[in-house]
Parts: sequence; C-alpha cells; structure tokens
Amino acid sequence: MIQPQTYLNVADNSGARKLMCIRIIGASNRRYAHIGDVIVAVIKEAIPNSPLERSEVIRAVIVRTCKELKRKNGTIIRYDDNAAVVIDQEGNPKGTRVFGAIPRELRQLNFTKIVSLAPEVL
Amino acid sequence: MLAALRSRCSSLPSLFTLPPSPSLLDPSWKLGFTAPNRFFASSPSTGAYDISEVLTIPEVEKILADVKADNVTVIPTKNQCFWADFTIIATGRSDWHLRNIAQALVYKAKQKQKGAKQIMLPSVQGYNTKWIVIDYGKFVVHALDEKARVYFNLESLWTAEKSDSDPSDQDLQNAFVKIRPKNNSKRKPAKVSS
Repeated sequence: MIQPQTYLNVADNSGARKLMCIRIIGASNRRYAHIGDVIVAVIKEAIPNSPLERSEVIRAVIVRTCKELKRKNGTIIRYDDNAAVVIDQEGNPKGTRVFGAIPRELRQLNFTKIVSLAPEVL
Repeated sequence: MLAALRSRCSSLPSLFTLPPSPSLLDPSWKLGFTAPNRFFASSPSTGAYDISEVLTIPEVEKILADVKADNVTVIPTKNQCFWADFTIIATGRSDWHLRNIAQALVYKAKQKQKGAKQIMLPSVQGYNTKWIVIDYGKFVVHALDEKARVYFNLESLWTAEKSDSDPSDQDLQNAFVKIRPKNNSKRKPAKVSS
C-alpha cells in the first residue's frame, strides 16, 4: 500500500537511494499503489556522482511491498521493505541490475525487462 | 515395470484420440459463445495456451538470421531461473530494424497458426524503444540497440551468475570438510634440524 508521501527503497543500481511517492499513475483518484504499479516519485537521497540527483522527479515501478501480495493459489508474499525500480518514460529501467527478490507477477504486468535483470524471482 | 509400460501405452492412444473431440465440440463453442466451459473444452485439444510450443528455438534463430539481426546469442538459463529456459539476445542496427525483428517474430507465430481456432501471439514489450522484449513464455527474445546492449550487458548477467555460484558452492563445501588441525609445535624443531 504505497500512497503519496511514502518513502521507498530503490532496488536497482540507478544511483538513487530513497524515493518518495508523490503520485500514482493509472486512475484519477487512486488511493494506494501495489506491486507492479507505476508511481511518480521524488528522489530523496542519491549516491554522489550518479546520473540521478536529489529532488529529481522520476517514474518507478513498485517491486516489493510490506503489504502482502495474494496469489490465486493461496500463497501470500510479504517483503520486509517497500522498494521500487526507477524507469524512464518508455518503461526501460534506468539502472542495469536489479537487487533482491522480485515477484513473478511483474512479468504478467509487462515488466519482463525488470524481471530479466533480477537475480531472484519469487 | 511392464505394467507401467502397458499403462503408458494404453494412455497414449487416449491422448491421440483427444484432439478430434474438441472438433466435435466446435459447434457448441460457436453457438454458446458465452459458455464459460469453452476454455476447458478447448485447452486440452490444441495445447496452444503455451505459446512456446508454437515456435522452437532453431526456428527463432532462423527468423533472426533472416531479418539480419546481429550477434545472436542463445543462453540456456534453465538452471539459473525458473521463468525462462532460454534467453535469446539479438542486436538491431536501428529503431526500424528492431521493430522489424519484433514484427517478424510475431508474424511468423501468426503464420504458423493459420487456420487454428485460437491464435497465440507472444507479448511484445517496449515496442518503440531501444530494447524490445518478445516473450514466448518458455523463452524470451531480447532485441536491443547496440548501445543498450553494451549498457545492460545481459550476457554477463546470465553467464556470470553461473561462475559466481560455483565458487560459493565450493567454499561452502570446503567449510564443511573436516580438517584435522596440525600440531605445529612438535614439528618445528624437526624442520630446524633438517
């Protein structure tokens, strides 16, 4: 459950460290974003000398949430942190590697690029 | 053992007899368009719900060669990730060329299933970008721009992981091997004397 003002970790090597959600893309009056949703976010913390800087507005895909994700077979997946991967307007990831475990739902949501960069898919 | 073989043999004809049965169901499918069980009726017949059966990897390689995609590499990723057995990476010269690669792969899949009731097409992602992914389910084709290919370096990701996992396994195995501690206190004088 990501809403505006939520802080997220960054799960790739794009250079950003912390993001703050400022808008959820998809509907006009949407309250919460879940795994696989695209959000508009501000970079709150960045690695020095990286292409992305603090206070830059970017788009990101949510890849991990503390709120549990339910599958049809009854499995429930819950992560320890809220994390997102920085993408550009075309949907290409900004970083070249994705860290941590990633749910396979992202593939059905047309984020195969992120899935193919990830080391582990749940 | 024999019984198992016999049971397998007996099950095989039943498999072969399955495909005609949906053709009998065909009129019902056409009439009852809203009938929810048509999915169940048609799924065992064609098995076309798995798109990866439509095209095989040699065929995809041939298509890529026909559209003159450069640097085609096929990486078997069955051991590393469960979601794809093979990753195919190809380089396109321009945005047009990349789009043509994707179009050719979709077109061939369409052509091969001509006349079928249901046509399964691969999902294409990032159509107007430098990195197009054509997802066939069991295998994934990445068509990248030359710069994007260098930037993302997908080959190293999929081939390096294999080499990374091996040493860690060896370290683990070494850690569990019992080694008798050497008692050096008694040997030192012997070395000095020799």
